[in-house]
Amino acid sequence: MNVSLRDAVRRHPEGITISLVILISLAFAVITQGGWLSIGNLQSISQVTAILAIIAFGEALVIATGEIDISVGSVSGIGALTFLGLAPMVGSSLALVAAIACGILIGALNGLFVALLGLPSLLVTLGTLFLFQGIGYAVTSGFSFAATDSLRQEFVYNVVGGGNLAGINTSVVWVLIVLVVLQLIVFETPIGNRILAVGGDAASSFSRGLSVTKIKFGVYIVSGVLAAFAGVLDAAFIGYADGSFGATMELSAIAAAVLGGCHLTGGRISLIGTLFGAFMLRGIQSFLILLAVQPQWYILVVGLIVVLASLADRTLTRFALKK
Amino acid sequence: MAKTDGAGDARKPLIRIKNVSLSYGNFKALTDVSVDFYAGELVGLVGDNGAGKTTLIRIISGINPPTSGEVYFDGERITKFHPKKAMDLGLECIQQTIGICDNLSVGRNYFLGREPVKRVFGLPFLDKKKIRETSAKVVHDFGLRDTVDVDDEIALLSGGEKQTFKIARAVTFRNRVIIMDEPTNHLSVRERAHVNELAVQLKQQGLLVIYITHDIFQIHRIADRIVIMENGRLVTDVLRDAMTAEALEGIIRDGGRAPAKGPKVE
Repeated sequence: MNVSLRDAVRRHPEGITISLVILISLAFAVITQGGWLSIGNLQSISQVTAILAIIAFGEALVIATGEIDISVGSVSGIGALTFLGLAPMVGSSLALVAAIACGILIGALNGLFVALLGLPSLLVTLGTLFLFQGIGYAVTSGFSFAATDSLRQEFVYNVVGGGNLAGINTSVVWVLIVLVVLQLIVFETPIGNRILAVGGDAASSFSRGLSVTKIKFGVYIVSGVLAAFAGVLDAAFIGYADGSFGATMELSAIAAAVLGGCHLTGGRISLIGTLFGAFMLRGIQSFLILLAVQPQWYILVVGLIVVLASLADRTLTRFALKK
Repeated sequence: MAKTDGAGDARKPLIRIKNVSLSYGNFKALTDVSVDFYAGELVGLVGDNGAGKTTLIRIISGINPPTSGEVYFDGERITKFHPKKAMDLGLECIQQTIGICDNLSVGRNYFLGREPVKRVFGLPFLDKKKIRETSAKVVHDFGLRDTVDVDDEIALLSGGEKQTFKIARAVTFRNRVIIMDEPTNHLSVRERAHVNELAVQLKQQGLLVIYITHDIFQIHRIADRIVIMENGRLVTDVLRDAMTAEALEGIIRDGGRAPAKGPKVE
């Protein structure tokens, strides 16, 4: 019994988070007398969860290699600004391509410094976080971009977060697509095996013939693309973006990944857990809003949860890997 | 300085190290090392801590490029140093401290870097069945406990079991060169004997086996040739029968300063 519980914890680190999410959801539903569980509220939670989760998936991939990407908040902001800034002129499709290209470029910049030059990822991506936040403010310099009415009619605009499919925002469809694709890549393909190996032990991976540089470079590109794409999805939903777009998103993304069972030391991640981690954070935020609690308490609660999660995580890992 | 390896001058060396040096900043880890290795021989690479044994095999296995000098494999000069290249040439190295990723399963570690794939709609997916079955057969053939599940993380194995795993992985892929860096560390007496038998068997199958150890007496019993390093230099290169283990130990103890007496290879 004890052994099988241990196996379960080891093989499914996200199990705890999923159970917690169910418990919390029930509690929230009861406390708000069903308000939290209303269709309208769940629609709103699912949209914000989708945006956060897509960014957190990219973060999880970087974490899998033992690095970190703090720049994702700014990258999503740049993605949003590029999209809404260009779309009225060149149309949604080209604007989307431009936004993704920005994600690739920033990802490549991070990858260049971290993977090729071997600089600490915490510092490099903290630098690019500020750098592109600064560029975002500079580009908008006090004004903002808003979606025009004709833009809202465009098919692509609706596909990338601007519209609904069967009553739910299209970004919810996107988060599921991204989840399935990444889940297959990470756990069912050689490249995924190598991503996890690099995070587990980079020197050993190198000695087995893996190109640690290429793998780390690659995950930064993916992280940049996903963050920029999430920015597009969110901007299309809101129809408005200014220089502050995406601010503090990086913290929530890291928190979602950690809550979901991703180890910051690398090599162990759960994408399904990350999705539930994102849902938990957004669910709590929505709960606090319903209770009319001041928004700054959300940050406090997130901080508390992350600290407790890392503690629980270490305890569980020790338990699961005890010989 | 042409090497004459008493055993057969006509043979082409499988690995030729020519005037190789390696520096880390001001620190010279290897100084002007030249040595040839032949297929079908078991070479003991011996020396004290910091002698440069591990550095030399890190170059041979592609982990570090030399600062200067030349490395030839089967007559061809190596210009690009990468472990992948070494593995592709058929060189497998059992490293002392690295080589396995604790977070991955036994099976995934076994195939790391050369994962078998099956195509689904043209996309390469891991062939998990093959990973499981092949690795399970290999590790259990090498005497790992029956309770070891190859789907379990390798972190659950003991130090000795991990070492056995590394040896099993190195010798079951088709290779031409096996390098063992202190392979008997963490092993019990019986396991040691097994590893040494295995080294001899591999040599008899025509492989080049380079066996790194501190233990001159242990390697003297099984090696064809003994190469001694000291302070990043190669100090002695003799056929096993040319010197006693005691005499070789003397050279190591004196830090390689004593000129090797007797019929040295040069």
